Amino acid sequence: MLKLKHAMYALLATALFYASCSSKSEQAVAPTIANEQLTSAYLKLTNEANPSDTTSCRYRFHLDNNGNVTSTDSTALLLKANSKYDVKVVMLDTTQSPTFVVSDEIKQRQNYHLFFLQPTPISSANLVISTNSPYIPGTPTSASGPYLNLAVARTDQDSNTPPLQIGLTDLFTTGAASTGNLRVVLRHQPNAKNGTYAPGSTDLDVNFKVTIQ
Amino acid sequence: MRTGLLLLFLSVFTTLSYGQQRTKTTGFILSGKVKDASTKTLLNEATISIIGTSTGTHSDSTGVYQLAVPAGAHKFRFEFVGYVSVDTLLNISSNTKLNISLKPSDDFLKEVNINATLSHKIIETQSLTVLQGTELERTRGLSLGESLKSITGVTTFQTGPSIAKPIIHGLYSNRILILNNGVRLEAQQWGSEHAPEIDPFIANKIEVIKGAAGIRYGSDAIAGVILAEPKALPTTPGTLNGEVNAVGMTNSRLGAFSAMLEGSLGKKLEGLSYRIQGSYKRAGNTSTPNYILGNTGLSENDFSAALQYYHKNYGIETYYSDFNTKLGILSGTEVGSIADLQARIQQTVPITPSDFTYTIDRPYQTVNHATAKVRGFYNFDNGSKLQVQYAYQTNKRSEYDLLSFSPSLAPALYLKINTSTADINFDQKPIGGLTGSIGISGMNQGNVRMYEYLIPNFVDYDGGAYIIERYRYKKLLFEAGIRYDYRWLKAYRFNDTIAKIEATTTHYQSSSSTLGATYNITNDLTLSGNFGSAFRAPTVNELYSNGVHQTLISYEVGDPNLKTERASNFSLNLNYQSHRVAIDLQGYYNNINNFIFLQPTGQYIRVQSGSLLEFNYTQANVFFRGIDLGVIVKPIDSLEINSKTSLIYAYNKTIHDYLIYTPPMRLQNGLTYHFGSWGALKNIAVGAENVFVAKQTKVPANQDYAPPPGAYSLYNAHFGFRLIINHTFADIDISGNNLTNVAYKDYLDRFRYFADEPGRNIIFRLRVPFSILQNNK
Repeated sequence: MLKLKHAMYALLATALFYASCSSKSEQAVAPTIANEQLTSAYLKLTNEANPSDTTSCRYRFHLDNNGNVTSTDSTALLLKANSKYDVKVVMLDTTQSPTFVVSDEIKQRQNYHLFFLQPTPISSANLVISTNSPYIPGTPTSASGPYLNLAVARTDQDSNTPPLQIGLTDLFTTGAASTGNLRVVLRHQPNAKNGTYAPGSTDLDVNFKVTIQ
Repeated sequence: MRTGLLLLFLSVFTTLSYGQQRTKTTGFILSGKVKDASTKTLLNEATISIIGTSTGTHSDSTGVYQLAVPAGAHKFRFEFVGYVSVDTLLNISSNTKLNISLKPSDDFLKEVNINATLSHKIIETQSLTVLQGTELERTRGLSLGESLKSITGVTTFQTGPSIAKPIIHGLYSNRILILNNGVRLEAQQWGSEHAPEIDPFIANKIEVIKGAAGIRYGSDAIAGVILAEPKALPTTPGTLNGEVNAVGMTNSRLGAFSAMLEGSLGKKLEGLSYRIQGSYKRAGNTSTPNYILGNTGLSENDFSAALQYYHKNYGIETYYSDFNTKLGILSGTEVGSIADLQARIQQTVPITPSDFTYTIDRPYQTVNHATAKVRGFYNFDNGSKLQVQYAYQTNKRSEYDLLSFSPSLAPALYLKINTSTADINFDQKPIGGLTGSIGISGMNQGNVRMYEYLIPNFVDYDGGAYIIERYRYKKLLFEAGIRYDYRWLKAYRFNDTIAKIEATTTHYQSSSSTLGATYNITNDLTLSGNFGSAFRAPTVNELYSNGVHQTLISYEVGDPNLKTERASNFSLNLNYQSHRVAIDLQGYYNNINNFIFLQPTGQYIRVQSGSLLEFNYTQANVFFRGIDLGVIVKPIDSLEINSKTSLIYAYNKTIHDYLIYTPPMRLQNGLTYHFGSWGALKNIAVGAENVFVAKQTKVPANQDYAPPPGAYSLYNAHFGFRLIINHTFADIDISGNNLTNVAYKDYLDRFRYFADEPGRNIIFRLRVPFSILQNNK
């Protein structure tokens, strides 16, 4: 009997305890805010020979309300053969209001970032691994087959000693008519930037279709 | 030499019953002091026990003991390691004072510390390993997970050198229940990089139950239970004692400091006792043999306070603890895509060298865990006992990611979980050979998240009821118990397509049970068999996660239709203890139906930085089986040879493949030599140990980014002694880990893709218990 009585007290105490701790803060769900978000990347090109001849391409990430990528779309890049283009890389976060210009922040943190603009496939003859020719290790090359006849050179420098390139502005030199892809990679290399691809991690990795005609 | 064994056996056994002895029986109080017969030094932690029962206690640092004894004639034993034990028959009919002087023994048995596997109060037929005494002291400064690695069948799952989670019989995270001073630790345990929020300095005894043991503490304990137990508060009126611990390590330049003050009030406040304790820990970057691991520092500040009031047959105690830590995450481990990770695995050393620093940069975690507890008990005149406990915990976790371009100072993820738990337990009076307990427990949880969406907000209510009974007949002990649990879970999920919150309510209910028997074949040899059935309801991350797990480079998708896991654990335990040899052999088979795990779907998810592998939470029927073997041989009294073997095999029966992250074979072989005394130095001991961990070859196909690393063999050594000056003493210990500075990787460290494990580490430990007031009535 004693046991039963105590069990009853216990049940009562438990009921009271449940009643006493109802909290509503769980129901008011805080919005999802990512510290960093990237929704679009543009290449904006100006023909050196004719400043009114501009072209661009855009890569877009479509996000759900939790910041997860649901789909992507991109526009192709059309270039004239045997021309030189000044290139500007623009990256945006349109989830913020006003739109957050990510590339401006990259410029401010230039000593930690490095862009790679890699034509693919690339001719094995053109394969020169140097800071003048951004090259992503492992890029497929072609000895004889078709390749994108495009040379890329970064034109800006950071304030490291000695200064290293950034790639927010570039110079494209097109050759004969050809088609292929341009892979754009932004590497984040905090306290590790040395001009090569390896250190750090990737912030952006996208491909544009390129037609040189 | 029989007493030697008995001494060893009893000293462990009585410790096991220590926590509850004060109030186990009603009657009278036997109290007094234990001292060295010649030097009059008061002996700390001498054991006082009633022969033939599990009743016993220890003297405190002032040599004072106090033991509640039923009326009648009892044979008492007073013993202290290295001294001749004294047996005496007393007829107790009133509160009695008895001071005892012990003589040092000639065949000085020295410090004996064995990870003895003995029956315990909760589930007597299931194996329990206790870590205490010098063995525990030698883990001071390490995290809880690291501290337990000396126990067979137990290892850790690590995320770099700063984060370690315990693994028992191949399982970890939510499948292990951790009790901090009797309170079920409720934090964000589901995360494999979320280390238990416990300051090991609080505990003077850590118990590990291996195997399904949900019966007493509720669901989830399908792999085991870890109990971190502080020392009982002093009860002798008018005392004030303290203890200081200091630890220094050469690798990571870790410094840890812990101080404790405890006392018992006299006069009108007799029965009231208290303790305050604080720990401070700071470490910088850890070094591997070839390079420094950047951003692997940590800092920790902990505080705890306890206050209790004991009267003749009732008592109340309150406890509060606050745990704060900041843990650096190894730099260079952030990767944006599978391609990034694979490139990183190709590199054998970090591209960018790091220097030593205590500074912790992003990425890092901060965690705060606060626990408040009130416990009361009442002892009935007939020998029954009622216990009621209420605890409230708040866990706040912030994870700061490495930022590329954002000026934000905010964390990437913030989770706060509040938990209330209430437990009522009633131990029935013994009826013939039948004893047992019955109880109910309840829990309420609320989780609030901010920033990134990893798991939804939720509220849950849990209730459970159990009964465990045991019957002793001659050399046999039978035990059976059953428990029922109910969980109500409401998750406030954010539907990302319609941008609205959807409340989803689920219910889980299930029963746990235990059935076992122990047979004392001879006085030295005991055979125990136990069947435990336990379950675990799916956690919110398993049900509802949908997104990128940053440190895992995986895209994880939960399944709201997951069912509860059900474990059926069979274990057989053979225990032999003689003067020269102690053997503890445990074989187990843990079958888990509906085991929840992450399975790669073979799909890639496109994100800004490239592609990630998609993983789904899915269920399968699996089993774990293995053997834990511990052998201690003492060819002569002063030499102890120690061998530990942990073998485990895990298999997924549904997909006919091995299970990922199963611990490989682990062997620990060591010896300790006790030199005895030299001047003011006592208990001089020197030891060496080899730890061999085999390569895990039984791994599932296509589920890992890199093959398991090779086997490794480490050499450790230690040297320790007790320095006695006047009436106080200091324990000093110097240990060296990985003495040969081997560069190795561990399969169960998630950062093995990026870096080696720590190199040589010399550790200095100092422990000074002291007494300020004695019997100041």
